[in-house]
Amino acid sequence: MAMQPHSKKRVCYYYDSDIGNYYYGQGHPMKPHRIRMTHNLLLNYGLYRKMEIYRPHKATADEMTKFHSDDYIRFLRSIRPDNMSEYNKQMQRFNVGEDCPVFDGLYEFCQLSAGGSVAAAVKLNKQASEICINWGGGLHHAKKSEASGFCYVNDIVLGILELLKYHQRVLYIDIDVHHGDGVEEAFYTTDRVMTVSFHKYGEYFPGTGDLRDIGAGKGKYYAVNIPLRDGMDDESYESIFVPIISKVMETFQPSAVVLQCGADSLTGDRLGCFNLTVRGHGRCVELVKRFGLPFLLVGGGGYTIRNVSRCWTYETSVALGVEIANELPYNDYFEYFGPDFKLHISPSNMSNQNTPEYLEKIKNRLFENLRMLPHAPGVQVQAIPEDAVNDESEDEDKVDKDERLPQSEKDKRITGDGELSDSEDEGEGGRRDNRSYRTPQPRKRPRLDKDGSTIKDEIKTEDSKDDVKNISSVEEPKKELPPNP
Amino acid sequence: MAANMYRVGDCVYFETSSTSPYQIRRIEELNKTPSGNVEAKVMCFYRRRDLPNPLIQLADKHQMAQSEDSPIAMKLKKICLKTPVGEEQAAQAVLDPALAAMEEESSELPGTDGLAPKQRHQAKHRELFLSRHVETLPATHIRGKCTVTLLNETESLLSYLNKDDAFFYCLVFDPSQKTLLADKGEIRVGSRYQTEVTNLLKDGEEDVRNSEELETLVWTPEHGLTDRQIDQFLVVSRSVGTFARALDCSSSVKQPSLHMSAAAASRDITLFHAMDTLHKSGYSIESALSSLVPASGPVLCRDEMEEWSASEANLFEEALDKYGKDFADIRQDFLPWKTLKNLVEYYYMWKTTDRYVQQKRVKAVEAESKLKQVYIPNYNKPNPALITSNSSSGKAPAVLNGGTNGTATVTAAQLCASCQVTNSNQWYTWGPQHLQYRLCGTCWQYWKKYGGLKTAGVFGETEVEAAKGPRGEGEDTALSVSHRPHRCTVLNCAKEFKLRAHLARHVATAHGSGEGARPVMKTRAAFYLRASPFTRLARRLTRALRRPRHYARSPFSPINLTQVKHECSAAMAGLGAAELRAAGAAGADGSLMYERVLSRAEIEARRAEAAPAQPLKRRAYDDINGLDTTGGAREGGECAAPPPAKRPNKHPAPMQRPSREQYAAMCARAQATGQPLPAHVFTHVNGKPTNISGRGGRRHVISWMDAPDDLYFRANETAKMARRSLSCGELRRGARAPWRALRGGAVAGGGAGGAAGGKALGGAAPLQLVILD
Repeated sequence: MAMQPHSKKRVCYYYDSDIGNYYYGQGHPMKPHRIRMTHNLLLNYGLYRKMEIYRPHKATADEMTKFHSDDYIRFLRSIRPDNMSEYNKQMQRFNVGEDCPVFDGLYEFCQLSAGGSVAAAVKLNKQASEICINWGGGLHHAKKSEASGFCYVNDIVLGILELLKYHQRVLYIDIDVHHGDGVEEAFYTTDRVMTVSFHKYGEYFPGTGDLRDIGAGKGKYYAVNIPLRDGMDDESYESIFVPIISKVMETFQPSAVVLQCGADSLTGDRLGCFNLTVRGHGRCVELVKRFGLPFLLVGGGGYTIRNVSRCWTYETSVALGVEIANELPYNDYFEYFGPDFKLHISPSNMSNQNTPEYLEKIKNRLFENLRMLPHAPGVQVQAIPEDAVNDESEDEDKVDKDERLPQSEKDKRITGDGELSDSEDEGEGGRRDNRSYRTPQPRKRPRLDKDGSTIKDEIKTEDSKDDVKNISSVEEPKKELPPNP
Repeated sequence: MAANMYRVGDCVYFETSSTSPYQIRRIEELNKTPSGNVEAKVMCFYRRRDLPNPLIQLADKHQMAQSEDSPIAMKLKKICLKTPVGEEQAAQAVLDPALAAMEEESSELPGTDGLAPKQRHQAKHRELFLSRHVETLPATHIRGKCTVTLLNETESLLSYLNKDDAFFYCLVFDPSQKTLLADKGEIRVGSRYQTEVTNLLKDGEEDVRNSEELETLVWTPEHGLTDRQIDQFLVVSRSVGTFARALDCSSSVKQPSLHMSAAAASRDITLFHAMDTLHKSGYSIESALSSLVPASGPVLCRDEMEEWSASEANLFEEALDKYGKDFADIRQDFLPWKTLKNLVEYYYMWKTTDRYVQQKRVKAVEAESKLKQVYIPNYNKPNPALITSNSSSGKAPAVLNGGTNGTATVTAAQLCASCQVTNSNQWYTWGPQHLQYRLCGTCWQYWKKYGGLKTAGVFGETEVEAAKGPRGEGEDTALSVSHRPHRCTVLNCAKEFKLRAHLARHVATAHGSGEGARPVMKTRAAFYLRASPFTRLARRLTRALRRPRHYARSPFSPINLTQVKHECSAAMAGLGAAELRAAGAAGADGSLMYERVLSRAEIEARRAEAAPAQPLKRRAYDDINGLDTTGGAREGGECAAPPPAKRPNKHPAPMQRPSREQYAAMCARAQATGQPLPAHVFTHVNGKPTNISGRGGRRHVISWMDAPDDLYFRANETAKMARRSLSCGELRRGARAPWRALRGGAVAGGGAGGAAGGKALGGAAPLQLVILD
């Protein structure tokens, strides 16, 4: 027990020792081996022993067809390198062949990746963990009936679908250098999942992710795209990531977050064109973690594998709240990390084409869009009798905590709060409103319909009292806002 | 130093021709050739001026569509951008009603609002078109860096204008298919793409998910062991592994020393196994220890690295050499007793060995020809277009002084053709030779970098471009189609259009028939032919010109000038000078001469005087240009004003067939007004900056926009009848001196048209002018 200080998060980590042996083919940049390299680093850094380690089950076709079409999954199940010729037509239809080759064990690979994310989501739903990690997941390009960008089965969508059973609103954040088009498309018309993707845009795969793509139908304003240019460095990344995510948290008020940690946004990536260091990349994890929501971390892109494993190792340590040495420990793949054998990497001297002005403009435009969001979306406006929760929510943070302390002893989930207030908050605006979307959680009631209504109620009371709180102050300008120019 | 270091991925200027603007390329690869030179594999960006005309219109429409997110704009985007565009398709796209509606909107780049016209003009120089076209150029032709970014709608174009060497692009151009595509993917909407969103569980509803079925716990941090205890256990398990290797025969061969055994026992597989053992024994060190040493002997964990024999390793390397990393083939042909997973695992471990490092070094040497960056020093050689002080004072005026109005033109030529300054450290000749334009140092730099002149409309730069003919070596000449807008000349309208047909329809729909039977377009430059004595002589002497009527009626059909010259010189050889003079004074050079047409006012004056009976309804010329005083003076009415003074023909504009668009404009116009094609005066669309010489020889440079409207004659039945009643001689005379009343003016109604000639009929006959461009 002494091993885990009270403030530490409970972290579950999903890994199958087979995953590193799937091989996309000669010259293919996607190398599942990087997940194994990460795993070995975790072991030798002593992080392994600090987490719950799970071997995920293999997701069944039934599970995958929660999102994917039946015939697509049937196809993935049956195609093998030795029978490819019988499937020419279907391969074309499902975009399997070039970027997404048929390789030995393809279906199993998908099963493991999806199985990890689904199990992780269930874990979060059961409140058996605060942070779940599946570096084998994050295959964000996969479409409903189509493979794309080295992704066949969209484990993220499957995971989010699982989370939606317990969470009224789920936030998806994507820091891969590529646009998270598969996830965005899957949830393009719903207001229950907000997808936020930071990516290189312009003459770049997959071509989607324009600033103007904001969702459709009910999902309008629930897709947030941050198109970036070559050379994003740590500083500029944070300068856009922090305000956007804070604003999203404030307006969307999710009750669970999924972060896709594609490591191709790191400097020197074989396919990427950003200039982030491991620290800058990990900073995003840190920032999201601070919101203290049930948190699913998945992998994604990353094609300079030594840096990918560095990055994901560091991010695991961030999730655990453990500092690790810059000196890499000896491991089976130690030689990969030469010549310096350090955890952290330096940025290159490439120029950053994202000027502060450009980022500022992007940010302002996105803020305008976010202002269009109704608060507590997806919740019916209904008269709900006042109950204890409302009173609670009116109170100051301190009172809040005091009242819940006994509960927190019954339920370890509360431990997160302590850490949160300890952490170096920067007053970006995210902190203040944590309260509102966190309120329902310590009640140990996983029923989200209740959660939703409490949130709504809270806002209503706040509004009516004209409280000078973030929520109401954001509400105001919304009314006068001219249609999006 | 850093500025001259060019890396893969940089956007740079390339100079492939000294007179044309730089080409903008992105370095994809830098390769050292065997001779030691560096070649850059580059991806091409195209400038606006490099694009075929119809595509530019599409590009503008795309911009428009981008700026408004209306459904029609979206539709337009799809129509335009997904269809490959040849000229014909472009014309069809234009006729699409949806597009017709769109074109009423001004077709400007987004974000141009609030830009001064000059800035707007310059913004066009900053637009590039991405292509997938890759070429190889010598790196020494690099002339500096620039940046090219995808235009974001939140940005104003001003941000590009304010930055040197900053370009933007929106569209992707395919030079081989001549298509433009938006470089934008699409998020599809529909049940085939979106997921069904799971509902929240209702109160009391059971979640069917059971974590036990979904995962197997292999380690938990809730174990009660200290870090130290775990570390100790790991050391113990490694010792057990070392001992196990000592006992194992096969291992003792591979690892003859204790160190090697210990190292092998320290590999991650042993550690993972130790952790698993701890977990399985409920985190009890004791029971874990005992399971490390079961009855069968100490546990030995070996990974692929250790498992493989030396001969297998050799086979693998050999196979890797032969097949590369095609593990399926390697397995099949070399190591069939291994599984694919064995091979992959081994491969990634093998990469940590010395053997691999050696191989890599060999490869690194091979890859040395691939450079990451290259240093190109500043280019200091003077451009051939640079005017050295000698030639600028001597040569240029010498040529220009040949004209009657020489002094005026000299002044014009010494101005910078772009910014009009007279002082500059350096001057560069610019544009076609015969125009003698020159640019000051700054404007020259601007021209080289941005492919245009700072100011629009002083000299339409496009004219110069069009006249230039084939461009830089190796470049696709088909791309160099000039482009200029067509502006509605109706008062207070002045909308601009990319196609004449657009303008025609715009006028028809927006301004109705109130305009009278006259399309509002202009010819590029109006002229008519004034025959030199030699030409007249040639007409008489040459068989090829024996059919004046025919040529008059079809002014576009070419006349074989070589033949004419040939026949002429042959015929003239037999005649004495006196005879020749008798036949007609010999011209200086004998080529056909073109003259600028009269100003509109002059024409008006003449017509008013000559044909009061049938006045043509036309808008006052001064609507556009203000009154030409020379024209006004003539109003009083001598019978006919002579054409402007002759100038040396250093400006032979090619005879041009009216383009399809021009005819389309006429037809559109006629249809819109509900009239048959007017049988009389037509003006032609076109636009070209033109030099109009006044009578006194002061040389005005007037932009095409301000040039007077041109006319040409279209014969109706009566006119044809009238013509038939004239003798051939009269007809010719009329054609040659169109301002002179026709002697046979008694004929009721009639006129004559001729190849690049004009004719007026005296008396009751309507006066007609024929001008073609």
